[in-house]
Amino acid sequence: MFAQLLSDVGSLWAKYGTVYLTGIANTLILAVTATLIGCIIGFLCGILQTIPYGPNDHFIKRFLLKLIRIILRAYVEIFRGTPMILQAVFIYYGMPYFFGISFKDIWTVSIIVVSINTGAYMAESVRGGIMSIDPGQFEGAKAIGMNHWQTMLYVILPQTLRNIMPQIGNNYIINVKDTSVMFIIGFSDFFAVHKMVSGAVFKYFPSAFMEMIGYLCLTLLASFLLRKMEKKLAGKSNYELVNTDQLVMAAGTYSYPAEAGTPFDEISKDYKGEKK
Amino acid sequence: MSEHILEVRHLSKAFGSHAVLKDIDFTVDKGDVTSIIGASGSGKSTLLRCINLLETLTTGEILFHGKDISKGKINPSEYRAKVGMVFQNFNLFNNMTVLANCMIGQQKVSKINKEEAKKRALYYLNKVGMAPYINARPDQISGGQKQRVAIARALAMEPEVLLFDEPTSALDPEMVGEVLDVMKSLARDKMTMLVVTHEMSFARDVSSHVVYMADGIIEEEGPPSEIFTNPKSLRTREFLKRVLND
Repeated sequence: MFAQLLSDVGSLWAKYGTVYLTGIANTLILAVTATLIGCIIGFLCGILQTIPYGPNDHFIKRFLLKLIRIILRAYVEIFRGTPMILQAVFIYYGMPYFFGISFKDIWTVSIIVVSINTGAYMAESVRGGIMSIDPGQFEGAKAIGMNHWQTMLYVILPQTLRNIMPQIGNNYIINVKDTSVMFIIGFSDFFAVHKMVSGAVFKYFPSAFMEMIGYLCLTLLASFLLRKMEKKLAGKSNYELVNTDQLVMAAGTYSYPAEAGTPFDEISKDYKGEKK
Repeated sequence: MSEHILEVRHLSKAFGSHAVLKDIDFTVDKGDVTSIIGASGSGKSTLLRCINLLETLTTGEILFHGKDISKGKINPSEYRAKVGMVFQNFNLFNNMTVLANCMIGQQKVSKINKEEAKKRALYYLNKVGMAPYINARPDQISGGQKQRVAIARALAMEPEVLLFDEPTSALDPEMVGEVLDVMKSLARDKMTMLVVTHEMSFARDVSSHVVYMADGIIEEEGPPSEIFTNPKSLRTREFLKRVLND
């Protein structure tokens, strides 16, 4: 029985191998691109949603910021609360109705649909990630004069990214599998290949078997890579004391005599000298 | 002749119906080391946070070199770059090394190039004795070390005033000394400082001016010699008796 399955799979692969591989490549490219764009959308939503405003601000600024929050809220609720397969239909067939735009390229439309769908989920993940950051981090950044964008970009979001890495992984893996619904508008991903091939040669199970293995490989590979990235983001677990750098010639001890100034006067002079 | 760096006028702050600060008036001059003392909940930290615009004022104004900074006419980021702040909980950026913590503000806010920023960061890290630790991340060093880095980070912006919000309160007793030593050396360098503290020895021996706060008002202020040896107000006397006998 197993031998039969293997020989069927073998013959399918011999005949349609490249078709399957193209399907895998399409799925992979769509999932990776859409997850990346989705992340960017999510982080942008995170930055926009957290712009602070107070009672002292101009009322137009307050109004605009409130409006932004309402729009983002609506975006998240709508795209999280409806099936992606319907969103694809709405955007693909709806755009010509409302705006007279028709998509010639199925890739563009697929990437747009999956990206904004992912973005809606990511926006919530990022929001959660930002909430988990100690408010002291915001205050520390503000206190040295950073504005909201700088605070977010250099301090908060890098820490958020690290915290939500597992959720980005989740989204990516979901995307690898769920991009299969894009067949509704004619995107030929890995699963669409199965339908095409099995329809032509009537070998449903061997083809499905290959699909299972293929999808599993894609997601396992993703999990592995994400773990690696998480480790990298966590940084080194130890550090080296720097006692050799010329600028840092101090021996690494803290105490210095109170009246004699610092033992680093050489450097002080050098530094003060360079400053106008 | 002497120009006030900071001038607080009729400052009040309320959280809802709870008035934390009531009609505060005081000034900071160049080179002053002002200690703000008082019981917990007397509004010391809130005052400091108002001065750095981390809290919005309910009424009153804060003048920086004679200009009102509290009404949103001046960009708070630009103002904060000139007024450094050191927090009780350090608030070092967890995603950066010690060195990067001291460089990021210079590079992004003051737009100083990387080399100069590094030089300046190393200079101030040397000053607080943390230069050997430039490659460490905040979660790898002790509390006292973190606070010294936080001071270096604030100094690297070369601010005109440095605000300290209970800089030693979150530290183990054996680490308090190293942070106070750094603050003392800053005082010797004539850095203008405003320090909210429970360290009475610092207030008495290092500061040039002491402000005693109670229940959201300034109960008494003056040179430390007067406040500590001859307080006029009964409440000041009782507070000092309580904390100095501990």
